[in-house]
Amino acid sequence: MNDTGIAIIAEHISKIYRRGSDKITALDGVSLRIRRGDFVAFVGPSGSGKTTLLNILGCLDNPTDGALSVGGTDVFGEGTRLGEKELTKIRRQHFGYIFQNFYLLPTLTVRENVTVPFSFYRKDNAVTDIPALLASLGIERRMNHLPGQLSGGEMQRVAIARALVNRPEILLADEPTGNLDSKRSRDIGEVLGSLNRDQGITIIMVTHNPELAALAGRQIDLRDGRI
Amino acid sequence: MIRIWQIAYKNLLRKKVRSILTITGIAMSAWVLVSLLGFNKGYENALNRDIDSMGYQVLVAAKGCPYEAATLMLKGGTGLRYMDESIARDIQRYSEVKVITPMVMQAVFDPNKGESGGISAYLGVDPKTFPGMKGYFQFQQGKWFTDPNAAEAVMGYEAAELEQREVGDKILIPEKNVELAVVGVLKRTGTQDDGTIFVPFRTVQRVFGVAGKLTAIGVQVDKNARIADVEQKMYDLPDVQVVSLAQVKQTIISLVATARVMVFSIAVIAVLIAMVGVVNTILMSVFERFQEIGILKSMGALPGDVFRLIWIETFILCLLGGIAGNALALGLVRVTDILIRRLLPYSPTGSLVMIDLPLASIAMAAIIGVGLLSGLYPAWKAARIRPIESIRSQEA
Amino acid sequence: MKKIIIFVIMLIFSAPRLYAAVGCDLNDPDRDVKRLFPGSTGFKTIYVSIDRKGGQPMLQRIEKRLGDSFHGLYETIDVPYTLYEIYRGKEKIGYIHGVNQKGQYGGIQVFLSLDLKGVIRSLYFQKLTNREAALLRSPAFGIQFTGLTLGSFNGYDVKTGTATQGPVAAIRNPAAGAEQDFRATLRAVKKNLILMDEFVFGSR
Repeated sequence: MNDTGIAIIAEHISKIYRRGSDKITALDGVSLRIRRGDFVAFVGPSGSGKTTLLNILGCLDNPTDGALSVGGTDVFGEGTRLGEKELTKIRRQHFGYIFQNFYLLPTLTVRENVTVPFSFYRKDNAVTDIPALLASLGIERRMNHLPGQLSGGEMQRVAIARALVNRPEILLADEPTGNLDSKRSRDIGEVLGSLNRDQGITIIMVTHNPELAALAGRQIDLRDGRI
Repeated sequence: MIRIWQIAYKNLLRKKVRSILTITGIAMSAWVLVSLLGFNKGYENALNRDIDSMGYQVLVAAKGCPYEAATLMLKGGTGLRYMDESIARDIQRYSEVKVITPMVMQAVFDPNKGESGGISAYLGVDPKTFPGMKGYFQFQQGKWFTDPNAAEAVMGYEAAELEQREVGDKILIPEKNVELAVVGVLKRTGTQDDGTIFVPFRTVQRVFGVAGKLTAIGVQVDKNARIADVEQKMYDLPDVQVVSLAQVKQTIISLVATARVMVFSIAVIAVLIAMVGVVNTILMSVFERFQEIGILKSMGALPGDVFRLIWIETFILCLLGGIAGNALALGLVRVTDILIRRLLPYSPTGSLVMIDLPLASIAMAAIIGVGLLSGLYPAWKAARIRPIESIRSQEA
Repeated sequence: MKKIIIFVIMLIFSAPRLYAAVGCDLNDPDRDVKRLFPGSTGFKTIYVSIDRKGGQPMLQRIEKRLGDSFHGLYETIDVPYTLYEIYRGKEKIGYIHGVNQKGQYGGIQVFLSLDLKGVIRSLYFQKLTNREAALLRSPAFGIQFTGLTLGSFNGYDVKTGTATQGPVAAIRNPAAGAEQDFRATLRAVKKNLILMDEFVFGSR
């Protein structure tokens, strides 16, 4: 389990939602390992459990059953069920997240949005040169603009910058281009690709977009909660 | 780098109208609270000042004598009762008595005032003792008369203004056909003395044919003596009534107590309403930002961070509201004064509402305290939001 | 909400008047207006002061027209004058306006009721302290002012109390012992008419 080359180990993960008397099986015994530096894309039709799996791997959600270890720490498993506080600490340590809807705070400037995570915690090796980070994403000139003045692609770049300020090992991306046109989708894909190639950040992504999925080194196809 | 309070502050800017309305609500209730606390403090001060301005603690009056100028006016100067000057000498002999001042009040009907005539009143005072008791009097012009028999007068500011009198002018006592020379015009005091015409008491006695008679005696009791003892002695004097101003004050305070309770209920209700407003505003903004708060958590916010964020928002609202309310209260002291005067059975002269720094701080602390208390639930609610719930609701 | 704000503002700005100079109001406006203007059904009360209406230049103009300067503690630029506009139904039928005047033994309050052109209908002493006050207050004295206008006072010098010409020259003092208050009355009437002209008629 302490293999330094492995970022995430998931074994027999299942997730069952109850809605009234109905049981919906979102994940049905999924096992997988993700290595450091991997670029993984979960693909598959809607309702196949991609996002549920991403959320569980990213410690945003608890599996109903199974075991999960992140960076050598047991997160879920027999006898292990961490509380919200511990989960937050693991998330702080390992993950950065980006979402389809960006979720920038509308009253904060780009620069302020990007540094919001610092108001909660700051890793020792966190990014100190924010302008350089924004420049690397091509949005340095937008630094003092409000989100409402940006295009969708720019907003997603801001969200990526925000996810990167604490230098996560793993970047989780849930439909990062779901709200973008194809040109901008390609740009975001390139950004993600270069983060993976040049900085060695592990990327786990859920997408419907085959062109984007093709950028990933590894595609995992989910159907009915199974790989 | 952005700090958590900046995030909170900028969140409030998002719904400006709502934030402003909430702050206005808090400000209104803070205004009411501060004003009423100020009233609580100011009323007694004003009353004390009024009573101190009398210069004496005990007033001895002839039995059945109206000792208030207002009563005198209403009765049209009739029904005045007198006591003998010898009583003054008796009282002077008490060891507890520091100084006494004899007074004789007179009023005449003046047919040339208004369409159907009016009353002119004169207060005869002793130039030796009376000015000493009214040490705070200041003169606009001139000075006190010194001869108890002089045909002179000192006029309160309003009396002088009404009669357009200045030092050197004459006034005429109607009916009696006596002229008096104005030797002094007082500055405004804010008390009933402003409307009074002071005349040497021997002159009043002579002009009105009441030699050897007095209507009232002001008694200043020695600092070390108990006022109650003196009162007790004076009750034995024949045909006089003894009015201790402490008694008068007690009566007034108990009359006002009811009004005070009412006024405080209003304050409490106002604060409660404002707090319901705060809970509502913050809770609404928490629900609206459900997903956003989840995202903050995915960015590393602990439940405590979220709690703090929401609590700071509440704090900012209450702080701004409290400051605005205090400013309102200070700015509108006069208005509050006027409003309260309408509510009260008796109002002293001078400002009834007294707002100072300690009082403003107490009110501020109360507003913020209650505000933070009402922010507890929304903040707790927000802290409990789990990131996954908000993301799920995004998918739905 | 707007009304409340206006109310509050009015309170704030009217409150200091409590401490400003004293004006000249009717003691019992409801009764007095009915008496001075029989047939009137209502009135409106307006407060004006030289200070607010025209300031120092207006004061200088008024003093020049009066032929005397304002003096004393109480005849000042900020004295509020009370102007009653008299109505019959919705129709304005005249004015009542009073001024304070320093008299020999006290303040004299001289009210004039005027028609819409500024012609005196009647004169009313609300307050006058003098041994011979009754003579000045008698109808026989007051009626001499009826029909006069500001123009009638052109030849009257308030300082010397002499009139060279016109109807004012014909007005005699009925009270030999009250010469000072007789002159004060004429000064008050002239001042009253000048103020009305400045505030309302504006013939200048």
